[in-house]
Amino acid sequence: MPQVELRVPAEGAYVSVLRTTTAALAARLDFTLEDIEDLRMAVSEAAAICLECAAEAADLDVVFDLGEDTIGVTVTTTCDAVAEIDEESFAWQVLTTLAREVTATPDGDQLRISLVAGATPLGAAR
Amino acid sequence: MDAARARSRELFRTLAGPDLTDAERTVVRDELVHLNMALVEYCASQFYGRGEPHEDLVQVGVVGLLNAVDRYDLSRDVEFSTYAVPTILGEIKRYFRDSRWAVSVPRRLRDLQQNLRDATAELSQELGRSPTARDLATRLGVSLETVVEGLESSNAYAALSLDSESDDTAPMLDSLTAHDLRLDDVEVRESIKPVLDSLSAHEKQVLMLKFFRNKTQTEIAAELGVSQMQVSRLLNRSLAQLRKALEED
Repeated sequence: MPQVELRVPAEGAYVSVLRTTTAALAARLDFTLEDIEDLRMAVSEAAAICLECAAEAADLDVVFDLGEDTIGVTVTTTCDAVAEIDEESFAWQVLTTLAREVTATPDGDQLRISLVAGATPLGAAR
Repeated sequence: MDAARARSRELFRTLAGPDLTDAERTVVRDELVHLNMALVEYCASQFYGRGEPHEDLVQVGVVGLLNAVDRYDLSRDVEFSTYAVPTILGEIKRYFRDSRWAVSVPRRLRDLQQNLRDATAELSQELGRSPTARDLATRLGVSLETVVEGLESSNAYAALSLDSESDDTAPMLDSLTAHDLRLDDVEVRESIKPVLDSLSAHEKQVLMLKFFRNKTQTEIAAELGVSQMQVSRLLNRSLAQLRKALEED
């Protein structure tokens, strides 16, 4: 499975770069515009959650796993302390609605959020 | 608010009367505009963060309000505010379409974005689903890269159509996307995060279904098992809180 990696500073301004890359990759995998939008938003939410706990001068490490008609995205950052995920938060609700197999794994001072998005089969209506 | 509404109604009755001199008419119109500025503020703030100063949009909105004042007929069975909002919004949208693009977007990109919009509409019809970038590239006879560039620059992934006109305020609210309210802007979200997280579960659900799933109020009502009126109320309340938080920033 081909992988694409991206590392950006953990700052709000760079999340749009992340969204652009996400959209470009999904477009090449023949995701429909609606599915691309969902994935863009999901990655944005995952990044936003990471940014909340990210330490000063930390990075967002993003890995895209490109399947045939799925994309797995993993966002990792270094936090100030052990991250706590608020599952009542708006961001989490949006994320778990827009993507599948969402997991948030605090691991020492690292926070890893991963999600999977699938392309709607082109034969079917949404 | 009720006082303004009652006074407005009085003034419209005056306007409808015979024997009004031009000077008197002007005075009445001015007072009506003054009384209903809140509508203009409301409409202008829907376009927050689109790169146009709020004051400019308010000026444009006042033109819309004046049109509404001139055209409103008391014998219609509709509140002036309900009547005026789409007119004001229409004026502001027209302003965006006519003025902003000429200034900020290169022609090549503008044409591409228009072609993409048209092709997306056509293909969605034909295919019964939203098209892929490849579908669009084939239809337009351009490279995949070109399509991706065009989509990205116009943020066309979201389902907003700036051109949709409507006489009803509900569909107007329906066409707002996450991008319009800058809900997808991480830096803006930081400032409204406390407000978002403090919303009730219901309010959160409504916001999410509306802005991240692009559902209409009717669809949301069906999904949550409540009335469309309740959805509208929840939405307006949440948006008011968010707007307040954004303005205080």
